[in-house]
Amino acid sequence: MFTLEWIGNFGFSVLRLSTPLIYAGLAAVISAKAGMMNMALEGMMLVAALAGVVVSGMTGNLWIGLAAAILFGVITGGVIAFASISGKTDLYLTCIATNLAAAGGTVFAMYLLTGEKATTSAAIRAYTIPSITIPVIDKIPVIGPMISGHNLLTYVAFFSIWAVWFFLKRTRLGLRLRAVGENPTAASSVGISVKNIGYISFLLSGVLCGLAGAFMSMGWVSFFMKGMINGRGYIGLSASNIASANPAGAGIVAVFFGFTDALATSLKSGSSFPSEFIEMIPYASTMLAVVVIGIIRTNKARKVAKGGH
Amino acid sequence: MAKEILRMENITKIYDNGFVANKDVTFWLHEGEILALAGENGAGKTTLMKVLFGLEKPQTGRVLLNGEDANIKNTLDAIGKGIGMVHQHFMQVPSLTVAENVLLGIEPMKNGLFDFDKAVEMTREVSEKYNFHVDPLARICDLSVGQKQKVEIMKVLIKGAKIIIMDEPTAVLTPQETDELFEQLLRLRDDGHSFIFISHKLEEVKRICSRITVLRRGHCLGSYDLSDMSEADISRLMVGRDVVLQFEKEDPTPGDPIVKVRDLVKINADGKRVLDGLSFNIRAGEVIGIAGVEGNGQSELSDVLSGMDGFASGTVELNGQSIEGKSVFEIRQQGMSLIPEDRMIHGAAGDMSICDNIISDRYFKPGYKKGMFINKKYIENIADEYIKEYQIACDNKKQAVRYLSGGNIQKVVVAREFTTGGNFIIANQPTRGIDVGAAELIRKAIVRKSREEGTATLLISADLNEVLGCSDKLFVMRKGKIVAVFPKASEVSEAELGEYMLGLKTMTEKEMEGLL
Amino acid sequence: MNRTSKVEFTVELVRIVTAVAIAYAVALITLFVISDDPVYIIQQFVLGPFSSPRRIGSIINLAIPFTFTGLCMCFMYAVNKFNLSGEGIFMISGCVISMVALKLGNSLPAPIAIAVLFVVGAGVGAIISGIPAIMEAKFKANIVVASLMLNNILVFLAIYLLKYKMRDNTIGFLGSLPLPEVIKFPAVFGKMRVQAGIFVAVIAVILVALLFYKMVFGYKMRVVGNNPQFAKASGINMMGTIIGAQLVGGAIAGMGGTVEILGNYDRFQWTASTQHGFDGLMVAVLARKNPLLVPVAALLLAYIRIGADVVNSKGDIPIEFITIIQGIVILMVAADEFMGGFKKKLIYKAAAEELAAKEKAAQKTA
Repeated sequence: MFTLEWIGNFGFSVLRLSTPLIYAGLAAVISAKAGMMNMALEGMMLVAALAGVVVSGMTGNLWIGLAAAILFGVITGGVIAFASISGKTDLYLTCIATNLAAAGGTVFAMYLLTGEKATTSAAIRAYTIPSITIPVIDKIPVIGPMISGHNLLTYVAFFSIWAVWFFLKRTRLGLRLRAVGENPTAASSVGISVKNIGYISFLLSGVLCGLAGAFMSMGWVSFFMKGMINGRGYIGLSASNIASANPAGAGIVAVFFGFTDALATSLKSGSSFPSEFIEMIPYASTMLAVVVIGIIRTNKARKVAKGGH
Repeated sequence: MAKEILRMENITKIYDNGFVANKDVTFWLHEGEILALAGENGAGKTTLMKVLFGLEKPQTGRVLLNGEDANIKNTLDAIGKGIGMVHQHFMQVPSLTVAENVLLGIEPMKNGLFDFDKAVEMTREVSEKYNFHVDPLARICDLSVGQKQKVEIMKVLIKGAKIIIMDEPTAVLTPQETDELFEQLLRLRDDGHSFIFISHKLEEVKRICSRITVLRRGHCLGSYDLSDMSEADISRLMVGRDVVLQFEKEDPTPGDPIVKVRDLVKINADGKRVLDGLSFNIRAGEVIGIAGVEGNGQSELSDVLSGMDGFASGTVELNGQSIEGKSVFEIRQQGMSLIPEDRMIHGAAGDMSICDNIISDRYFKPGYKKGMFINKKYIENIADEYIKEYQIACDNKKQAVRYLSGGNIQKVVVAREFTTGGNFIIANQPTRGIDVGAAELIRKAIVRKSREEGTATLLISADLNEVLGCSDKLFVMRKGKIVAVFPKASEVSEAELGEYMLGLKTMTEKEMEGLL
Repeated sequence: MNRTSKVEFTVELVRIVTAVAIAYAVALITLFVISDDPVYIIQQFVLGPFSSPRRIGSIINLAIPFTFTGLCMCFMYAVNKFNLSGEGIFMISGCVISMVALKLGNSLPAPIAIAVLFVVGAGVGAIISGIPAIMEAKFKANIVVASLMLNNILVFLAIYLLKYKMRDNTIGFLGSLPLPEVIKFPAVFGKMRVQAGIFVAVIAVILVALLFYKMVFGYKMRVVGNNPQFAKASGINMMGTIIGAQLVGGAIAGMGGTVEILGNYDRFQWTASTQHGFDGLMVAVLARKNPLLVPVAALLLAYIRIGADVVNSKGDIPIEFITIIQGIVILMVAADEFMGGFKKKLIYKAAAEELAAKEKAAQKTA
């Protein structure tokens, strides 16, 4: 089983499955840095996934579809920002309501547009974002099949880790966003609008969720399917929480979760073990990771408190 | 005389709830002057400064800068017009570097990106020019409190402020850091900056200020040249009461010690010793008052004695048992009751009824419950009793306390805490911000309870009338220590008290021996 | 002062009614726009649920699970924890009690067997809701994420149990062996065919209301939810109360799953999450976490759902459009600013009137 070829394929599958988690993790990082917990990643990704498929199918242009996915991610982010920041609705409730509405809303919209309720695969012509073979590298054994030939958006995802870091660290907006997240009164005392920064963080979160959604429906598969995000938004959020909203850390944790996902997939095909338990692996590992990190953090805090005496 | 750069004329500010924070206050500042602004909490200093800094709009009056009407619209406008404020609680982002904090809001840019190198350079320039010695690349969270304050001043300077408001800047500093700060302030003053220095500390005011403006209850008492005044004069101005309330009470007949505190030390998150080796007893039937400028350890003492917070070393005994490591519940069972400092945070649940609020400490006791159920009838009768006894003005006992006035909410809190059945009461600012009638009723109740039931009472209050009137014995706290003890509170003059509160005098251990 | 409380109550009521009305209007407009035969479809949506006793019965039948999960969310809401495990609990409890029922067969008399099943269902619910509750309290985990991950796991666990422990291989779909006759709830109210679980639901509402407003534990819960700082200063055990409330909430969701199976099914056959847990969130928000209002909110939601169902079967409209409406309602009811201006105006007006009245009285005495 563990041939070189298998390792290469497995690595490929890890990176592929990590892609949406990386985007979700980074989207959560941006919101977290602005001081908010974005639990609506799930809904934002779902809306974007549908928008991408539908618009690319309607216009016959892949890239317009991608743009639409991003646009709808951003719009959903804007709705959440409006409700929670301007409407002063509890952010938790807003996000939960958004996810509920997105789960039903996408099916509804899909039905109106295609007459289907489960998937668009039959009704809408599929467009997929191209995969890219990296010359030279693809010839290297093991590593070549692992990192070459991925969907464009997979490479963009890894690039985004750097981009988000750069944005937060090197741009004025990023600096202000971090300032607002850590100490809103300090930021507003020097004339920075906390409200505007809150909006911006959700809109940027929307861009990343748009890419994630597009990857799901125009890369991973080539159609939209009811509930296709399947908890990935929450797993991405956990990645950000575990990494304390550090972009590189969130990326690493996302790849770890991608690894468990890939493990589950490969186990399913090769064993007689009930598949239900294998399906639980990504969720169970998320819960486990959250607990482990919680134990580490409380121990650390306890040590600090003891040292203080 | 130097030229007058700021004048605030006839400022009157009334808040939406009708509270008059400033009434016809007139106030001026010369160029190159350090002016002390003094007054008790709630005297209107903060409101006046908020008006100046564009955070509040006054009903009447105007602000003149260099003789011209300034019409300050908002904070940004105030900053633009050369006014800067160093807040008591630093307005900083801990994980960012000094340079990033200093230039937040006015970041230098290059090619559309934040120019970090330029920011560092600009920060270094200011730091060197005024001898701040702060590393622009250090993170705020790694700095000492004194350095953080320097960053705060640099933030103001880099925006070109000429008039700088400093809100109790030394409250968090060590003596060495304070010295350093004062040197810098004097240097900046000589450089043409003007300061409004809000402080409760007499020696500091005396050291660096040339003039003092005193506010009391929203009114301006006047501005005085400090060079003509003795320390005693200043102390009288800073600590004073408008009316001396006569308060009749019998002499106490103290019994055995209920509370024994020995060498109590508490260290806060910043590593500061907020309680620094306190030792004292509170005996049955005796009201001990704690006077002192706020922020000298009084709240921490209340937190430690009530179990809301722990302590580092020392012992605290209540009715013969240690309270170390015990929960609030356990300490309450041992006989403690608490009238907390802020009634809407720790004293009451706003959305719940009077009935619900008076049983929060005893819902589990027989009588208050029947099996698993709350004994509604019994509780309602008791609520009716309390409403009558404490004259709580309400529609009925089922009204949510949020709808009551502050004084009546406090009466609900007092009614509960006075009937817990304990023999030790912590009354932390029991009459803050409530009407005269309610305050009078609560004060009388405190004294009556100690006389009739032999309760040991610890009364912490910033209201001098209250501590002088209600207490039997009086302690003065400063910097986490007891600096004076008066066995008979009624015989203390407020001038004398002020001198201890402001650090002019400190009793020696010998003088206090046997009194604690 | 009394005026202010009256104003707040009135505004609250008006707000909720308005929110529901707006959402309903959005639903009607949506139907109007997308349907080929709007008049007929709208008529079906509005009146369809009342068109036959059977349908009215369906509203009530659907409101029963909503009531249980709504009560469950009232507990979570009361201590300010968004523990969403009710969704998974509903399903897994239904699954576990089906297994137990199959094991018991017809061996026990009906009342005892049913009592056993309720205890099992409630126990499963309490244990499961305790997992995210403890993860949050002890390990500072995000409770929403923890409970949702748990829900996903529970779905697969239920499917596993169904497939490997109680599958009936003789039928053409994935379903359990037939449940024993003795435990099945009868239908009541004649033609409406309401399941007898309604009595359990009514009892549950009454018990929960008693717990909330009359019992010691409910009192603690309300203090902790209303002002945790005050609870601490009063010496109330916060962590115990917060976790305890979630356990009770979970137990009630578990009973909901039990009632659903006993009342409506011949076999256990859920292979996907029922969504009733999330519906419970909406019910609790609408009821403003007051258990006595939960059945009202549940009936309202059930009416809209059945309306959508009717429309779904009669025409070209998928039932999912209702979830959008649901989202709108939750947001509008929960938004502080929605009609906030209206409230302020009324309060100012009341204050002014009060002042004028006082002045008048003062003049008279003068």
